[in-house]
Amino acid sequence: MANKLIDLLGITKSYNNNIVLDDFNLYIRENEFLTLLGPSGCGKTTTLRIIGGFEQPDSGKVMLDGRDITNVPPNKRQLNTVFQKYALFTHMTIAENIAFGLKLKNKSKTYIDDKIKYALKLVNLDGYGNRKPDSLSGGQQQRIAIARAIVNEPKILLLDEPLGALDLKLRQDMQYELIRLKNELGITFIYVTHDQEEALTMSDTIVVMNQGYIQQIGTPEDIYNEPQNAFVADFIGDSNLIDAVMIEDRLVSFLNAKWNCVDENFGVNKPVDVVIRPEDVVLCKPEDGTISGEVTHVIFKGVHYEMEVMAGNFEWLVHSTLMHPVGEKVGITVDPFNIQIMNKPESEDEEVAYIEE
Amino acid sequence: MKRFLERFYIAIIFIFLYAPIVMLMVLSFNNSRTRAKWGGFTTGWYRALFQNQAIMEALYNTLFIAIVSSVIATIIGTITCIALSNMKSHSRTVLLGINNIPMLNADIVTGISLMLLFISFGFRFGMHTILLAHITFNIPYVILNVMPKFRQLNPNTYEAALDLGASPVYAFFKVIFPDILPGILSGFLMAFTMSLDDFVITHFTKGAGVDTLSTKIYTEVRKGIKPEMYALSTIIFATVFVLLLFINLAPAKKEKQIISKEKRHTLPQKAVAFAVISILVISTLIYSNLSKDKEGGQVIVYNWGEYLDPEALKIFQEETGIEVIYDEYETNENMYPKIESGAAEYDIVCPSDYMIQKMIEKDLLAQIDFSNIPNIKNIDSNYMEQSKEFDPDNKYSVPYCVGTVGILYNKSMVTESIDSWDVLWDKQYADNILMQDSVRDAFMVALKKLGYSMNSTNEKELEEAKEALIEQKPLTQAYVVDQVRDKMIGNEAAIGVIYSGEAIYSQRENENLEYVIPKEGTNVWIDSWCILKNAPNKENAEKFINFLCRPDIALMNFEYITYSTPNAEARKLIEDEDIRNSQIAFPDLSQYNNLETYQYLGEDADYIYNELWKEIKSK
Amino acid sequence: MKSRHSKWLSMPFLAWSILFILIPLFMIFYYGFVDKSGQFTTENILSIMKPEHLKALGLSILLSMIATIICLILAYPLSMILSRLGVNQNSFIVLIFILPMWMNFLLRTLAWQTLLEKTGVINSILSFLHLPALNIINTPYAIILGMVYNFLPFMVLPIYNSLIKLDKDVINAARDLGANGVQTFIKVIFPLTLPGVISGITMVFIPALTTFVISNLLGGSKILLIGNVIEQEFTHASNWNLGSGLSLIMMIFIIISMGASTIFDKNGEAGLI
Repeated sequence: MANKLIDLLGITKSYNNNIVLDDFNLYIRENEFLTLLGPSGCGKTTTLRIIGGFEQPDSGKVMLDGRDITNVPPNKRQLNTVFQKYALFTHMTIAENIAFGLKLKNKSKTYIDDKIKYALKLVNLDGYGNRKPDSLSGGQQQRIAIARAIVNEPKILLLDEPLGALDLKLRQDMQYELIRLKNELGITFIYVTHDQEEALTMSDTIVVMNQGYIQQIGTPEDIYNEPQNAFVADFIGDSNLIDAVMIEDRLVSFLNAKWNCVDENFGVNKPVDVVIRPEDVVLCKPEDGTISGEVTHVIFKGVHYEMEVMAGNFEWLVHSTLMHPVGEKVGITVDPFNIQIMNKPESEDEEVAYIEE
Repeated sequence: MKRFLERFYIAIIFIFLYAPIVMLMVLSFNNSRTRAKWGGFTTGWYRALFQNQAIMEALYNTLFIAIVSSVIATIIGTITCIALSNMKSHSRTVLLGINNIPMLNADIVTGISLMLLFISFGFRFGMHTILLAHITFNIPYVILNVMPKFRQLNPNTYEAALDLGASPVYAFFKVIFPDILPGILSGFLMAFTMSLDDFVITHFTKGAGVDTLSTKIYTEVRKGIKPEMYALSTIIFATVFVLLLFINLAPAKKEKQIISKEKRHTLPQKAVAFAVISILVISTLIYSNLSKDKEGGQVIVYNWGEYLDPEALKIFQEETGIEVIYDEYETNENMYPKIESGAAEYDIVCPSDYMIQKMIEKDLLAQIDFSNIPNIKNIDSNYMEQSKEFDPDNKYSVPYCVGTVGILYNKSMVTESIDSWDVLWDKQYADNILMQDSVRDAFMVALKKLGYSMNSTNEKELEEAKEALIEQKPLTQAYVVDQVRDKMIGNEAAIGVIYSGEAIYSQRENENLEYVIPKEGTNVWIDSWCILKNAPNKENAEKFINFLCRPDIALMNFEYITYSTPNAEARKLIEDEDIRNSQIAFPDLSQYNNLETYQYLGEDADYIYNELWKEIKSK
Repeated sequence: MKSRHSKWLSMPFLAWSILFILIPLFMIFYYGFVDKSGQFTTENILSIMKPEHLKALGLSILLSMIATIICLILAYPLSMILSRLGVNQNSFIVLIFILPMWMNFLLRTLAWQTLLEKTGVINSILSFLHLPALNIINTPYAIILGMVYNFLPFMVLPIYNSLIKLDKDVINAARDLGANGVQTFIKVIFPLTLPGVISGITMVFIPALTTFVISNLLGGSKILLIGNVIEQEFTHASNWNLGSGLSLIMMIFIIISMGASTIFDKNGEAGLI
């Protein structure tokens, strides 16, 4: 996990005066499973397409293995893409689809046949070689699209929301399949999705994007547990997002109460955002809580109960295995370690991003 | 660079597509009746257009047929699509296959097959036969446009509507209809355009007195297109163009302001619906107005295109109260099958010499009661005599137009003086010779040159004539009928075989042109009025013929069509001395040898002529 | 929308087709197989073997094939450029190609005569520029030009429609897998738009094969095509039997084309619109 395989340097891209990417910088290490995560229109697909060579950046450079490939056409790049809607060649059989790239490289027939067999086995579609893409289900077509890409032994596999069109169960199965593939092939995956669960499940590194800017880069755990701003916190998982003032190091005030926390170096009396995950909210007797309120909604979610608690004029989202009936008076406490303090957004763009979310 | 090349390529294609259209627009402002010459700028044709009743009527007919046929086709087509979308794929394939037939079938085959159908089932040709034909070839275009919209439909929406309590019909109009409406509209538009542009099928299925713009133009081709027609086409084109610009650009601009989606859709649709309905109403009114019966009965006239001054018809109607239903044909051979099949009822036709003979032999003509035509005395007795070649007792025909066939040459291109058909075989005029595109006229030239009778049925003589024509073909620039005139005026060719009537007109437009009757002899042709055996209005027909023999009317027609009149009294009334004494218009026939008039040679000889002609053409 | 009654909805069309499509076709069939006295004969059909008919047919096939190929070569790149112009231009582009049809077909073809004549507009411009004159009027070249002009829209529209339906990512996928521009076109774009191409070929080839107006007006009637022969038999020679017989021969080509378009375009999707 050492050297930078892909390095995007100062990429800017706009369509019709609409800036999609603005001075975008990102590097991807060898053998990494990197996910670009964000709402639609955040520039994640554009980033992928610039890496793939389907779009030219207005300015900036794309480096592959230290080589500038900004102006190299897609067919000369050692990357392959799995497209959102599969983009299989409907006029060819499955085998012909898979052989497409290999034939262009003038590989021998036996080599190609072996590769087809291997690829079909890899995606669990043995014996489908002579069928036409139209006769396969969505999930099967998706796996053929993957097979078609990986037989070319690319250095990097680009995946553009590849599971978006599949139903939930199939999507979950394919997630494991992709992890398995990644481990077997030992190549770099760059994965684009708007589904935070997919991102958290599969990635080594997640890049959260909004409005053409990177909001946070980190491991799934980092992203989830320590969102760096309100957008990330809100976009990844459920959260309670509250306006607060950092009174001093390790002490924050919100909803008319003072709370202990572990963060330092935010300054004195500084406005901040506080994020608290619903499962970190602890319900107790009213008198034991830092603040108190009343349960307004309860829904059974299987693993836990999802409750809403009106306390301090704020609707708290609470996940707990213990059920508190509607109307019960409860107190709220939070472990200082679970109070995540974030700076208020500084740039205007970030502000906009936040409001739109 | 690439972008520039692309733009350039599109520009070239568009120039290619629109060059002839620009050409026609320019011609509509050309102050000259022939398209070969630029006579200065004028907007006169636009004014003339609205006074030209025949063209306006053809326009109404065209619009009426286009609208009614495309509306009916749209309804049938849409209903069919509903049925098709529910069908098993097998029967659907069969139906779609049938649907493809009129679209892929050659126009000429479709037209002829419908003509055969109408004739065998005893339909009378008229507006309704054109309508039936147009609906038939319009339906496929509608189905082709609507069917894909049905495929894109989400079937659940209709079920949802039913689920919410809508009746099937209500659900269809509220849920399905809006989704397929774009398909229906484009289908309608396509059908309308096809109907508007069709010539071949209309040509074979039209009846007496019903002309669309296409058939009108085709009849005009023989005598040269009237500039009013260019003006009309320009107006139609410009209207449609502006309409399309409006419909296409208006919503595109508004899209950015994000107006409600619904509003954007209803705007053009409402406009289209309104336009359709109003045109429909107007055309119906005009049509019913046109077909209103007049008091004095009627007479149905079947004449050559552009062969009678419309003003004369008006005078006749005013004087007698008899309504004239007027229809035109392009050639004797086009006219004959319609008469023979009895599919269209006519009272009076104007065939040429040999065709009159054929029609007498086929018992299609009625004897004329000359006591009802006192004006027959005005007709030059020479022509009555010449008529005996095809109407031996002068019982069936009254000469109307006469003339010779000769050579028209351009003195600026031909220095020698010409007096023989041989010049048409002279290699120095290669690619500068225009021949007549008709079997008999072409053979007449060859037979006369060889010294034979132009009514020869001798196979050896015909074979020789054929060889001569084949030998001559490489020298020929084109075989044309009417366009000899325009091409000669425009200095396109040096020598042309032409009818004397056209020669007078040509000389007026280009003073370098000279007309000669070759010394080997030529054809003296006579077009005469005949009354049909099954004429429903025989008495009125005789009144009409008598009217046409009146000197003032004959003069009027002579001035309109420029073909010589056999009416001796009319000739005396001509004011222009040059014309009155013109040797071209009124040649002294006794000066020439070997003048003949065409005779009907019988079916077998016709067949031989046609086969030989095809051989020549295919060389 | 499933409905038990919907089958009846096909009845008007069915009745109409039988009356005005199938019966008339049968009449052509009948006329083609009898002689003037109504006796059965195969002579009308076999007359296609006559040298002049055979030559006319051969020439028709040759000229319309050339015209079709030119249309294809012109239309494909044009459609590709147009298809990249953006979706909201869609109907406008279709209309641009249909628009010329609102000027009468005969007038448009006559206008070409005026343009191409020896002393016509194009030659006047050429001589003004001191360029050699273009002498193609009354030659087969002029007929081909007339065919290309009149039928080009019927080639452009189906190809354009199949191109805009093409998923852009399929093209990207081919590039991604290592195909260069030419390879992508040959292996992916062209095969996927084949239904449109076939439909275009049919819609150009058939009318070009059967035309008689274009060859008359632009060929100076010197060049006899099979359409001219048939028209002559029906109108000038009044020999309907022979005309019908030759029409039947022509229909063989039409049936072949119909077969081709059904095989390649199973859903009838590659239409004009």
